[in-house]
Amino acid sequence: MKKTGMIAAVFGLALAATTAMAEHPGKESIAKSGYKGPETCEECHPGSAKGFMDTVHWKHASKVTNVDGVDPKKEYGMKNRIYVMCNGNDIVNNLKEIPKSPVTGKSKFTGCNTCHPGNHLSDVGSTGPEAEAAVDCLVCHSTDYDFRQRKASKNEKGQVVMGQDRSTKAALAIGKPTVKNCMVCHEAAGGGVIVKRGFSFTKDTDAHAAKGMVCVDCHKAKNHKIPTGHDPNNWANDNVFISCSDTSCHGGKPHKDADLNRHSAKVACQTCHIPRTGGAFAKDFTVWEQTPDKFYEPTTLKKEANETTPVYAWYNGTVKNTPHFIGPKGSRMDGKSKISPFKIFQGKAFYNKQTGELLSMDFAQPMSNGDTRAGVLSAAKTLGMKDPEKVAKEAVAGWQTIYFGSNHLVTKSKALFCANCHAPNGVLNFKDLGYSDKEIVRLTSPELFMKKLAEKQKEEW
Amino acid sequence: MKKAVSVMVLVAVAALSILCFSGIASAGEEIKMVGVITKIDIAGKDAKTATATLKDNKTEALVVITVNDDLTLDKFKDHRIVEGDEIRCKYETIDGKNVSKLFRKTAGC
Ligand code: HEC
Ligand code: HEC
Ligand code: HEC
Ligand code: HEC
Ligand code: HEC
Ligand code: HEC
Ligand code: HEC
Repeated sequence: MKKTGMIAAVFGLALAATTAMAEHPGKESIAKSGYKGPETCEECHPGSAKGFMDTVHWKHASKVTNVDGVDPKKEYGMKNRIYVMCNGNDIVNNLKEIPKSPVTGKSKFTGCNTCHPGNHLSDVGSTGPEAEAAVDCLVCHSTDYDFRQRKASKNEKGQVVMGQDRSTKAALAIGKPTVKNCMVCHEAAGGGVIVKRGFSFTKDTDAHAAKGMVCVDCHKAKNHKIPTGHDPNNWANDNVFISCSDTSCHGGKPHKDADLNRHSAKVACQTCHIPRTGGAFAKDFTVWEQTPDKFYEPTTLKKEANETTPVYAWYNGTVKNTPHFIGPKGSRMDGKSKISPFKIFQGKAFYNKQTGELLSMDFAQPMSNGDTRAGVLSAAKTLGMKDPEKVAKEAVAGWQTIYFGSNHLVTKSKALFCANCHAPNGVLNFKDLGYSDKEIVRLTSPELFMKKLAEKQKEEW
Repeated sequence: MKKAVSVMVLVAVAALSILCFSGIASAGEEIKMVGVITKIDIAGKDAKTATATLKDNKTEALVVITVNDDLTLDKFKDHRIVEGDEIRCKYETIDGKNVSKLFRKTAGC
């Protein structure tokens, strides 16, 4: 009772903080002198733009220590990784105008680094005074941002520039980032709304959103270092981490029911509380489909948020990483792993015939005319590979399976209860998880839950 | 007495099934379309409803969609969704209005 009271109070506070957002103390000064970009903010928040340069959100990369086969001295992230959710990266898919469609004669801008709070002239990972002046503070901090400004165009020198809303009006609506501010980029990660993870954060899809919480109530940042978890396919991090069982959130024993708390040692909170996932489950980058506007898109099979059944695997926070598989490592016996839920995604793309490595693709050519090998060629050239023509011509198609963690879409009312796992048709495949036949007999016997569920049934009627 | 009860049960069953059927009928059919926005009508910052006219990619017909959900309304207000965007839409016809159930930009990778 005491604990729930406390939790309620915390939620209450969070709610109050978000609904009754205090006026930004800098408002009057900004109204008087106008908004000139980060320098305006720096008058009262010195060092914030410089500090921002050293974050994942600016660099799209960081050192990575938990993944097989990566160089601990190098940095990895959207800037340079190659996998099959998006078969490229900021380097090979740098924002540009694609060749004109042979059908319509039209072009368009595309590039991964559109999801970067710079202006493209100062791009992913740039530094120095010019970069500091280019940060789009308002995309994360203004509730009155005009997104018509935030699009790519060519300047008088023919360079591709990413626009920003730098109006004083937008700068007068400053505050802590709202869900929308974060979702400007996160909602459409992976190639469109909901695609990568089925990530929807609304009162219908997430218990925390229903309480009025926002992203930064959990992802509390200092100096723009935003804490994250250990998703096997989100490598870059600011070296600060959060988990559901942090003492500042729920701790390790959040239930009145000791039977539930006992599971925390071996079963991740997410396993019971995120029983569904969503988004794309397969893509083919070797064959693109023509869309009604006559451009092309990778062939994609999609589901809505909460429409996909997860798979369960032991996970200790370290990641297996090969050309055909990226996913969790762990076992029942290592003393660190917990059974965790994942979305399995499979993607088809081109591999290097000589080395067996996964190749990346520039999307400009295939988007215009469907020629995917031309995309491989362009990427191989950008990366300075030896004999790019040969690489592209000989490239062989193959599949990669990747696991995405499931860390939002939290539910209390639909959380898994005893029989969801311990009945013979339960969601866990105990055998695959490494339990012996003898143990399985015990783990799938009503003996474990008969009394409890009978009582619950009585209560509920 | 026995008869009365069974008649009552029958009536109840009949009533139930009528309710069920009418329930299904009035829910309307969900229609899916992909089209480009030709016009958005929204009355200011506090609007609780808006209409968007979509040109159906298949038939070229203009379809007026009523949008009531907050997330999409917000995207109209801050121009994350604008005229010219291609939309995947599911709607139901309720009282002569095509009410949106899903309204999403198609944009891919
Ligand atoms: C005239 C001084 C001044 C200017 C200019 C100014 N601020 Fe502030 N700001 C403050 C003060 C004072 C606070 C409250 C104390 C603090 O958090 O540092 C604050 C707080 C904040 C907060 C925390 C809000 C919260 O609710 O937690 C953010 C975010 C912020 N400012 C962003 C900005 C941005 C972005 C700019 C530039 C557009 C800017 N500020 C310009 C004075 C200013
Ligand atoms: C709409 C914004 C957006 C666009 C456009 C976008 N991304 Fe991302 N991407 C994200 C976000 C947000 C994340 C991290 C969050 C997540 O994984 O859910 C991410 C993560 C990634 C990662 C994992 C990085 C890591 O640290 O392990 C890769 C790889 C990636 N993106 C590749 C691409 C490629 C390739 C493209 C272009 C073809 C692209 N992205 C375009 C938003 C975007
Ligand atoms: C990618 C989104 C993002 C961008 C871009 C961004 N911020 Fe922030 N900012 C945050 C987050 C997240 C917080 C922490 C909010 C919290 O934990 O309550 C924050 C906090 C702040 C604070 C409060 C004090 C602090 O450091 O925690 C200030 C001031 C601030 N930002 C100013 C700026 C300025 C100035 C810029 C542009 C140079 C900027 N921000 C760009 C996301 C962003
Ligand atoms: C301008 C686009 C953009 C905005 C706005 C944005 N993000 Fe991101 N975010 C990204 C991209 C891209 C990545 C992946 C970069 C990578 O892995 O290389 C990312 C990664 C992350 C990560 C994992 C890496 C890390 O830094 O810990 C978290 C957590 C995160 N974002 C939270 C947030 C929150 C919370 C907000 C709102 C305050 C936000 N983001 C706003 C683009 C954005
Ligand atoms: C109730 C707390 C909570 C809220 C609210 C929340 N997150 Fe998270 N988020 C987490 C936790 C905890 C993790 C890491 C879990 C782990 O890996 O163990 C995480 C992980 C992430 C990641 C890493 C990739 C992934 O999916 O695991 C990103 C990106 C992210 N969150 C962005 C967001 C954004 C954007 C919002 C708002 C729309 C948001 N989060 C709201 C708790 C929260
Ligand atoms: C074995 C499944 C299982 C695991 C593991 C689990 N939970 Fe739960 N949890 C439940 C169920 C079922 C409920 C709903 C109980 C109810 O409705 O009374 C619940 C309820 C809750 C509640 C609401 C408590 C209340 O009194 O309203 C919180 C908070 C919570 N869990 C957090 C967590 C956290 C944090 C973890 C990981 C440390 C976790 N849970 C692990 C099954 C689980
Ligand atoms: C998410 C699936 C899941 C749910 C829900 C769940 N369990 Fe379990 N339970 C497990 C797993 C996995 C183990 C084995 C853990 C281990 O390896 O120690 C286990 C172990 C047990 C054990 C120990 C069995 C033994 O002989 O070693 C008992 C008792 C038990 N659960 C009872 C319950 C009860 C009662 C509930 C409902 C309150 C419940 N479980 C809900 C997955 C679940």
